[in-house]
Amino acid sequence: MASVDRATTLGPRRAFLTHAANGFGLLAYSALAAEASERATTGPLVPKPPHFPARAKRVIFLCMQGGPSHVDTFDHKPRLIADAGQPAPAAARRGGRATLVAPAWKFSQRGQSGLWVSSLFDEVARHADKLCVINSMATDLPAHPQAFAQLHTGTAQFIRPSLGAWTLYGLGTENQNLPGFIVINPPIAAARAFGSAFLPAVYQATRVGGAPRPGLAGRRPGGGDATIANIASPFLDRAAQRTQLDLVQRFNASRLELDGGTSPDTEGVIESYELAFRMQDEVPKVMDTSGEAVETLERYGVGGDDTDAFGRQCLMARRLVEAGVRFVQVTHGNWDHHFNLGTALANTARQVDRPIAGLLADLADRGLLDETLVIWGGEFGRTPHGQGADGRDHNNKGFTLWMAGGGVKGGMVHGATDDYGYEAVDKRMHIHDWHATLLHLLGLDHERLTYRYAGRDFRLTDVHGTVAREIIA
Amino acid sequence: MTHQRWFGLTRAWIAVVALVLPTLRSAAAEGPQARADSWQADLEAGRHHWAFNKPVAPQVPPVHDTAWPLGDIDRFLLAEMERAGVQPVADSSREALLRRLSFDLTGLPPESGEIRDFLADSSAAAVDRVVDRLLASPRFGERWARHWLDVARYAESSGKETNLPFPHAWRYRDWVIEAFNDDMPYDDFLKAQIAGDLLKHSGPADQARKIVATGFLALGPKGLNERDRRQFQMDLVDEQIDVVSQSMLGLTLACARCHDHAFDPVTQRDYHALAGIFMSTETLYGTGAQLQNVHPSTLIELPSGAGLPSALAPLSAEEHARLERQVDDLAENAQAVIREAAAARAEGKEPNGTATFLRVQGARARLSSARSDRDQFHEDGSPRALAMGVLDRPQAVDSPLLQRGDVDQPGETVPRGLVEVLCAPDEPTKIAEGSGRLDLAFWIASRDNPLAARVMVNRVWLKLMGEGIVSTPDNFGIMGAEPSHPSLLDHLAVVFMEDGWSVKQLVRRIVTSRAYRLAAVHDDANHAIDPDNRLRWRMDQRRLDAEAIRDAMLAVAGTLDVSPVPGSPVARVREDRQGMARLVASLRQEPAFCRSVYLPIVRDQLPEFLAVFDFPDSSLVSGRRDATNVPAQGLFLLNHPHVVALARSFAQRVAALPDGPEDRWCQAFEMALGRRPGPGDIAAIHAFRADVPAPSAERANGAAQAESRALVAYCQALFATAEFRHIH
Repeated sequence: MASVDRATTLGPRRAFLTHAANGFGLLAYSALAAEASERATTGPLVPKPPHFPARAKRVIFLCMQGGPSHVDTFDHKPRLIADAGQPAPAAARRGGRATLVAPAWKFSQRGQSGLWVSSLFDEVARHADKLCVINSMATDLPAHPQAFAQLHTGTAQFIRPSLGAWTLYGLGTENQNLPGFIVINPPIAAARAFGSAFLPAVYQATRVGGAPRPGLAGRRPGGGDATIANIASPFLDRAAQRTQLDLVQRFNASRLELDGGTSPDTEGVIESYELAFRMQDEVPKVMDTSGEAVETLERYGVGGDDTDAFGRQCLMARRLVEAGVRFVQVTHGNWDHHFNLGTALANTARQVDRPIAGLLADLADRGLLDETLVIWGGEFGRTPHGQGADGRDHNNKGFTLWMAGGGVKGGMVHGATDDYGYEAVDKRMHIHDWHATLLHLLGLDHERLTYRYAGRDFRLTDVHGTVAREIIA
Repeated sequence: MTHQRWFGLTRAWIAVVALVLPTLRSAAAEGPQARADSWQADLEAGRHHWAFNKPVAPQVPPVHDTAWPLGDIDRFLLAEMERAGVQPVADSSREALLRRLSFDLTGLPPESGEIRDFLADSSAAAVDRVVDRLLASPRFGERWARHWLDVARYAESSGKETNLPFPHAWRYRDWVIEAFNDDMPYDDFLKAQIAGDLLKHSGPADQARKIVATGFLALGPKGLNERDRRQFQMDLVDEQIDVVSQSMLGLTLACARCHDHAFDPVTQRDYHALAGIFMSTETLYGTGAQLQNVHPSTLIELPSGAGLPSALAPLSAEEHARLERQVDDLAENAQAVIREAAAARAEGKEPNGTATFLRVQGARARLSSARSDRDQFHEDGSPRALAMGVLDRPQAVDSPLLQRGDVDQPGETVPRGLVEVLCAPDEPTKIAEGSGRLDLAFWIASRDNPLAARVMVNRVWLKLMGEGIVSTPDNFGIMGAEPSHPSLLDHLAVVFMEDGWSVKQLVRRIVTSRAYRLAAVHDDANHAIDPDNRLRWRMDQRRLDAEAIRDAMLAVAGTLDVSPVPGSPVARVREDRQGMARLVASLRQEPAFCRSVYLPIVRDQLPEFLAVFDFPDSSLVSGRRDATNVPAQGLFLLNHPHVVALARSFAQRVAALPDGPEDRWCQAFEMALGRRPGPGDIAAIHAFRADVPAPSAERANGAAQAESRALVAYCQALFATAEFRHIH
């Protein structure tokens, strides 16, 4: 049972701090550091056993914000091509005014498996036999904020913990000197998509490349630099800073005592500082890509005009999972192609195609892909009919998401939309089902991964979710 | 407005809100008749939704413990607690209460003298006196304006892809600050923002302020590179409907534009009738034509004699002449470029169409930008008083009913106004003249509106208590949360209106309640019954918002400049993208010392200090903020050069105190946290002072320097504590 009573998890740590604050004298820096690492083996982030043997130990979620067009990329629809120019079917409720638009890119069958992929993803298609393409995704609403929230938390209606936060809560993380859940280039105002809600604050995502201008993801391709802001002090060396931080933590502990010994906020601050302090040593090491081979950099498209930003972020994602980070998300925008589909979608796809292919190849070569689940997808897809002169509208009832590595079958297609790509008709996979499947791959039973809050047990999947066992290798 | 008419309005609002009812979806699949039947059923059900019935002053409930309540608010709360078997905890300490009041009302910590005075005042009226003082402080308006600016999605740039500056948005910000400081009745406050240009005024100063208030409708995010003019227009109108309905009514009416499931025809008409009001309104936001801006706009020149400040210094004659020359030169240049291009095309040799196009566009953009710069000034070089805002168009228009909100699918024309949206079909209301904004304003800011007062009292309650009575402050619809204390909400709403919509009076009522005074402590027995503190058996511990954290650090460091900032740095950038880039860079480098409410808010380019502490997306209505505690904040407080600089200023201030070193350190503790250090804190200070390591180079420079370095580290540590960024 991964349902953990928070009071017992944080208990020893609180006892230590209270004790320290009551003053058995100041420990030497080295002793404190040792204590810190010992605490780290008993804290809320220590690795926990899964419910059953896990197929995936880590996740890299390549989140394509804005809603990538499934009918132009991975969902091959011969009827859509054949009937292009005809009025959209009645089900589209466009009153016969919109017309079906064929993809402007040629689909072909790739790999041994003969998976259909359009020329927008020529590079990724080289890894067709690693991909498990789910063409039957569905989400509740065709509006960005709601669908983005549901993709990450299962609901648009309530503030709930993020997928990454649940994962961390269920499994802990392998490297206690790095955050267990990292979001590279997070979009602005999506805090709830990466938050911990009622789970302890320590499970929420740490943002990379977002601090000075949180989230240009939606607005500018590539986004900010892949660095964690303020990682070194301009004032104190490490030993002096530890002494300073001990003072801060003792003040915090004494405040906690004043408040009756329970304060999620103060406890959250205490945890966040310990992690921040350890990150200062570890992050520069992980972020330093100077030791990477030139061929590796090229593989990811680092240095390329279009691919540099996302390539660096994918490389960073690999370095982070390699260092033991449990859940890494890289967000890329903007896939909201209402206009200029012909040029804009091609540009957007070019920015990610090579970096993603590089990531898959690199993970495979390093033997990491078997235990790393790579996910590609956005909050919804786009309509088979056109919008305006050259665009497609939001489509929430059917779209594509693919996964690779981490215990999924490669070279397979799961589920299908109707003839044109409007709606999932075969093996429909609602976000809840996808979440259930994802947790299953991580060794977690979505019905047993619960957290008691406000008198009842909460789940990522609420009362829904069916594991798609067919896709598990 | 009669009660009966209100009933009609309510009914139509329900029609709009019920759009989101999931039952409609299945009904839609069953054909028009089933849909119509189901629609009627939903309408009936929706009419019973609590928020669509006018609040009526409820009976104040009896309580057993009659000694505990200080007023009616407490009686409503205690009655529920007694029913549930929950005991309110003890009152908080006087220091904690003063700190809570100071931050809640002014966004600043209490000063040492204020703490002393309050602790010395043992009279029963001590709290009232402090509350009066804080409400009268100009800092009150700065604090509470910011709460409204969150809701009004205030920002100083167009956002989205192009993100051009709105150099005059700050006038709206200042108007909101003034309104809260003057305790403008909330109904007038709403009316001015929807239709200030159409309201009666008492002279140029009043008229100018009312026009500035309509900036509310003009400063939303805009997709200035949208090529389809009608699409741009409808997006603008939709954004206005969205901000008005969410901020003032707690309803998400804009859903009615593009929601996926089948709309009831009546409802579609509602949305487009309302849309007609805004389509008949001209929105002036003032961005010059640019490569990425195909929707340039002008501004409103405010009446002379309004006596409003300007963000710009007057130009000398030479400076003005230079701007004129620049415009002339660029105009000539643009003409030359166009002539060349035309000539080339005429001769049939157009080597590179795109390059030519870009040259022409670039020349035009530079000209437009120079004109914008020049047009900021009168002939004599004095700055013109310009504002963003709205005006009625000369000719009012009605909106065609757009299928799925698609401008390419216009249907029948819907007469604009209250007719369809707000009133029952058998009670047609004519819009007498103009766009109908005036009618809309008076309807929204009406005592008959069941939502306006409730939504506002809930917003105020949420900011003071940490959670709303309705926990979804921007959504009182069927998908919103149920109120935890429906009677209390109605009581507050009715009293608020009876108090003449006075926000200050509302704040006073809440903060002088017993419930507000409770300690923010844990209690096992109560927690077992009500872990979320829905019953308000204690005060919630709350994280300060970004502005209060920054302002408190500046205040404690002694570097806060409380003089209001004239205008905004955004008003002084050139109206092009380079100007914007320079501005953003300089904002990141240079520390500022003004209150945070005066920091420029460029969409997607937030000051780091604010962004790291969960400043909301300024493109969305945000009635509540996230309050995270994450490592990024720890790293910011430990390592950011501006924080270290503030710690140095704080340390200098402490070092100059008359007391001995020991007392000085305790004094610093109180300056930062508003209380004397306890035994545990003092032990921690001793340990730190004994052990703080100084690099050997420093040690060689003598004890004094080591001591001062330790003091800086100590002051920074105080900023970094959990307590500094929370109110207890």
